[in-house]
Amino acid sequence: MSSESHSDHDDPDPPIQLPPLTPSLFDAEEEEQEHSPNLEPNGVVHASPSYSSSAPQPEPSDEVSIRAPRVSSEPSSPSSSGYAGERGSVSSTATSIVSEIEEIVVQHEIEELSIDDQFHDAVSDSHNNVSAVTAKRRDDGEDDGSISWRKRKKHFFVLSHSGKPIYSRYGDEHKLAGFSATLQAIISFVENGGDRVKSVRAGKHQVVFLVKGPIYLVCISCTEEPYESLRGQLELIYGQMIVILTKSVNRCFEKNPKFDMTPLLGGTDIVFSSLIHSFSWNPATFLHAYTCLPLAYATRQAAGAVLQDAADSGVLFAILMCRHKVISLVGAQKATLHPDDMLLLANFVMSSESFRTSEAFSPVCLPRYNSLAFLYAYIHFFDADTYLVLLTTSSDAFYHLKDCRIRIETVLLKSNVLGEVQRSLLDGGMRVEDLPPLPRSGSSSHLGQNRFPSDSSESLRQPNPGIGGVAGLWHFIYRSIYLDQYVSSEFSSPINTHQQQKRLYRAYQKLFVSMHDKGIGPHKTQFRRDEDYVLLCWVTQDFELYAAFDPLADKALAIKTCNRVCQWVKDVENEIFLLGASPFSW
Amino acid sequence: MSLRRRTLLKVIVLGDSGVGKTSLMNQYVHKKFSQQYKATIGADFVTKELQIDDRLVTLQIWDTAGQERFQSLGVAFYRGADCCVLVYDVNVMKSFDTLDNWHDEFLRQANPADPRTFPFILLGNKIDIDGGNSRVVSEKKAKDWCASKGNIPYFETSAKEDYNVDAAFLSIAKTALANEHDQDIYFQAVPEPAPENEQRGGGCAC
Repeated sequence: MSSESHSDHDDPDPPIQLPPLTPSLFDAEEEEQEHSPNLEPNGVVHASPSYSSSAPQPEPSDEVSIRAPRVSSEPSSPSSSGYAGERGSVSSTATSIVSEIEEIVVQHEIEELSIDDQFHDAVSDSHNNVSAVTAKRRDDGEDDGSISWRKRKKHFFVLSHSGKPIYSRYGDEHKLAGFSATLQAIISFVENGGDRVKSVRAGKHQVVFLVKGPIYLVCISCTEEPYESLRGQLELIYGQMIVILTKSVNRCFEKNPKFDMTPLLGGTDIVFSSLIHSFSWNPATFLHAYTCLPLAYATRQAAGAVLQDAADSGVLFAILMCRHKVISLVGAQKATLHPDDMLLLANFVMSSESFRTSEAFSPVCLPRYNSLAFLYAYIHFFDADTYLVLLTTSSDAFYHLKDCRIRIETVLLKSNVLGEVQRSLLDGGMRVEDLPPLPRSGSSSHLGQNRFPSDSSESLRQPNPGIGGVAGLWHFIYRSIYLDQYVSSEFSSPINTHQQQKRLYRAYQKLFVSMHDKGIGPHKTQFRRDEDYVLLCWVTQDFELYAAFDPLADKALAIKTCNRVCQWVKDVENEIFLLGASPFSW
Repeated sequence: MSLRRRTLLKVIVLGDSGVGKTSLMNQYVHKKFSQQYKATIGADFVTKELQIDDRLVTLQIWDTAGQERFQSLGVAFYRGADCCVLVYDVNVMKSFDTLDNWHDEFLRQANPADPRTFPFILLGNKIDIDGGNSRVVSEKKAKDWCASKGNIPYFETSAKEDYNVDAAFLSIAKTALANEHDQDIYFQAVPEPAPENEQRGGGCAC
């Protein structure tokens, strides 16, 4: 890695050059491993204790025991209160809280039904592809008495502090009123003791709680995701709720604890199901960074210039996006936009079908910008993928924003930005197969330089499907810390199916959590090998690199390859990142 | 998704242990009665959907334990209740005498906006026992108590015979609905958009 390769870019803030990643960095850690109490049998080498052990457990001082809801396999077993169960009954559910037992004991009844979860998940996922997220049907009749409901691998619930259901990922909220009450009782009971319940483990299931004032969020999952990931997902769900309603809903609860939020969220089911779906495909949900559509530097500059004109005319933020990727964005002076706000805004815009049919003007709240107030968003789709969001503080700015959009559209068409966007969508991003060799000849390289023309078929581009890139490199994510942006390589063989991609993202998520563990971290490097992958993570003050290799990959070669990836990213950063006039604060 | 307005009502059931709170619930929701007594531990939660006029109403019924040792759960359980059902056993004087306690304790812990108009309902249960011969609390006495608490509706019930149970709960739902003033308060709560100082600077960026 040489700093000279940077000289031909007009990099506004050249990052500090670091020594390349070397095997010796890892050797040091391997030695540490010998006196680490957290040895794992599968060849994991990392300086940190295993992340599974870092999941906080609720304080044992709270003598609460939660009896899991009865299961249908024992319909006749009566509860301690004398209910006969009545599992099939549509209108009734029964659950209990028990408060006298010595330690936290959660019965594992729900486990018995999750044997074929793997299969079930695979099936549900194939229905659930990015383009096919649909709001759950209200009439599906699922509730906590249904076997299908219990088999779901990952539940999300939102409820009020009085136990009234607000949202459930699966099933009808009203039919789950009893379950919702149980959750509130658990949370409130622990709260009464001056404590907080963070998570409960019940066999394979982890229950994660998040209390946001009068709003309670709960995730019940058997996906083996770490506590921190699930909690982060609950935070995003809460954020999405704030996007729609602002934090001012809290005042409604203060005035009236009986307050029912569900009517205010009417029609937004799809927004939440789409967000929850993105937890398994969008790395932005755990990286807290955004990603850009790869574009020639000049093209992005052209888009940025016309957005800047809009910002200068009184628009707070002007954002041009293609699906979940940024083409360009501009903020008014001093206004900063958080990547999580962008994620939630993009999800809100993309999942609401009505925005696609015509130009729209909608109140939205950006939680990280100002969680108490609405901004007004002018939203217009130029085509099925590309859309413009203009944000303003003024509720009567519609016609002004419309004029802005017309001007922007004219320029985008004239300078062929929209055409370039479509081409980039077809071409895709960085491919591990295209990784250039390390000792570069000093010339600036361009994304896709090594590629065949874009009309070449997949088989031409990948003469050896099944081996990924060089040294068994399968995939990587590079996150630039000072840009708040990341770039993720295209998925290539053998990470072909949505299921495999989801599994890889979950592995990255665990890696991310373990690297950022506040108790024992942060860490600089991690190399782990298991039956699925070799995962390599390298964190510096400038960037984080997450790379996945063939599980049989050679370690020294993998490390060398990571250096090549970092160099490659730096070489093409003009095209894959939005540089310069970023409104983000860092 | 039905566009019809759905309402969820949180109903708390209180009363001494053994007066038949759980049996009433069981009869109402499951149409079942068990002679056997099993103490409720903490609380049980059941839901029942019903239609009142053109509204779909879900009753979220919090069947609490009557034993005193569970009363510390109060604040957590009573928050945001739409209606409170008090139950006593017409054959046990003490269960009637403690109604004042339950009533006042509920108001103290739930802390509703207007305690005087908070919807309560009183159920005198087990009127079937011994053909009514072992009864020690007269209907008049109960009604007088209800009058003194601001005209609380009163029902005499038998969970065992399924007598008056549906009618009592229907009345509970209607009482709670009547008290549900509407929720336009949300829009009053949202302040004017973003503070001025965060607005664009415009013009020169230097």
